[in-house]
Amino acid sequence: MREMGLTAQNIERRRNFVGLDSDDSKRIVRIQELVEGHLEELTSVFFAFLGGIDEARPLLGNRDIIEKVRLLKKEHLSEMVRGEYGTDYIEQRVRLAVVYSNAGLASRVFLGAYHHMLRALGVLVMKHSEHDPMAGFESYMSLKKVAFLDIGIIVDVIVFERERVIRQQQEAIRELSTPVLQIRERLLLLPIIGVIDTQRARLITDSLLRSIRANRARVVVVDVTGVATIDSKVANHLLQTVTAARLMGATAIVTGISSEVAQSLVGLGIDLVKFNTVGDLQGGIEEAERLIGYRVIQTTDNGAAEHMKEA
Amino acid sequence: MVPILKHGKFLIASIVSALTDQDLIQLRDELANKIGQVRAHGVIIDVTAVDVLDSFATRTLRDIARTVKLRGAKIVLVGIQPDVAFAMVQLGLSLDEVDTALDLEEGFSHLRRGEERSRHAG
Repeated sequence: MREMGLTAQNIERRRNFVGLDSDDSKRIVRIQELVEGHLEELTSVFFAFLGGIDEARPLLGNRDIIEKVRLLKKEHLSEMVRGEYGTDYIEQRVRLAVVYSNAGLASRVFLGAYHHMLRALGVLVMKHSEHDPMAGFESYMSLKKVAFLDIGIIVDVIVFERERVIRQQQEAIRELSTPVLQIRERLLLLPIIGVIDTQRARLITDSLLRSIRANRARVVVVDVTGVATIDSKVANHLLQTVTAARLMGATAIVTGISSEVAQSLVGLGIDLVKFNTVGDLQGGIEEAERLIGYRVIQTTDNGAAEHMKEA
Repeated sequence: MVPILKHGKFLIASIVSALTDQDLIQLRDELANKIGQVRAHGVIIDVTAVDVLDSFATRTLRDIARTVKLRGAKIVLVGIQPDVAFAMVQLGLSLDEVDTALDLEEGFSHLRRGEERSRHAG
């Protein structure tokens, strides 16, 4: 509820959209007893419609779900005519909608079923008020406002649930795209791959700064081997990242600037004297180790050393 | 008011609250005096608790750094928060002239490394 912004204020607004007020509640309560008497029948209309539709299979195929949904639907109908449309009512709607959404029920299918049920409800009301058709019609029209309030909620929930998956994937992509790796105590590696735009540069800088703090890093190797082109904008982003790292007391070493990129940077007249650059990632890591005070010693004599000797 | 603490040959100024421009200028003057009084070799300015460094603060910090250097001491600025660092580069403030370190501890080891180096050189 909170995630979707369904506050008391928002619910009030939703009621205003469909024009639902206390007069409507009074008119609806008049038919409460009638509807309560036909709950089973009206619920059946809803599910009978779904039964004839292929798209509704996932919902109707599972016995547990269908029992639960029938119960919730009956509850819905009886709540619908109680005349109270506050937070509790909306909460129930959201709960039912989440069940629909989890069962993969499309909004268009739901709308069909709901419309069938409303029609049956209308017929019921009109039959009942033969002596005063005007009053019956008014009650029904008020009920329709509630129905539209419901539809608004349910469609929103279905859309929101579907977007949740997209949001999760976006989050995953974002996290994957800016890994900051610790390769030694106090030494971080930031491999940048792909296109850097303003938003991504921000994320990269942000996660780097946080990692510097968390890992107490002294040196950061920024590897741009995977960045195909560096224009003045990207260079500026990189410069900002490097400067921000320095403000936090970490030295940044930029590696992997290819010859084409180097030439184009020089051609663009971009001054990168502030960059501490080393040719490739290996060299960058070696330089970083030297800065921190590591010395790497080979302990076993392997093939590479043999080869060197022979040469 | 920023208290200036003495620790061995080093002075530590820890900025704990939002500073007015006046406070910064006062800090600069006091530091300049105190370095002479206690014959300090190094100064650490700790901004861990500061959540914004604007252009005036940055410029004053740079002036403090220059003053301290002229008085013959090393200076290191420690504890810039990630958000502050990010905001500063966005504003184009880079504090190139001032050495920086992650926190107080790093600041000390930075100054000590500097001392050792100059001792070797001398």
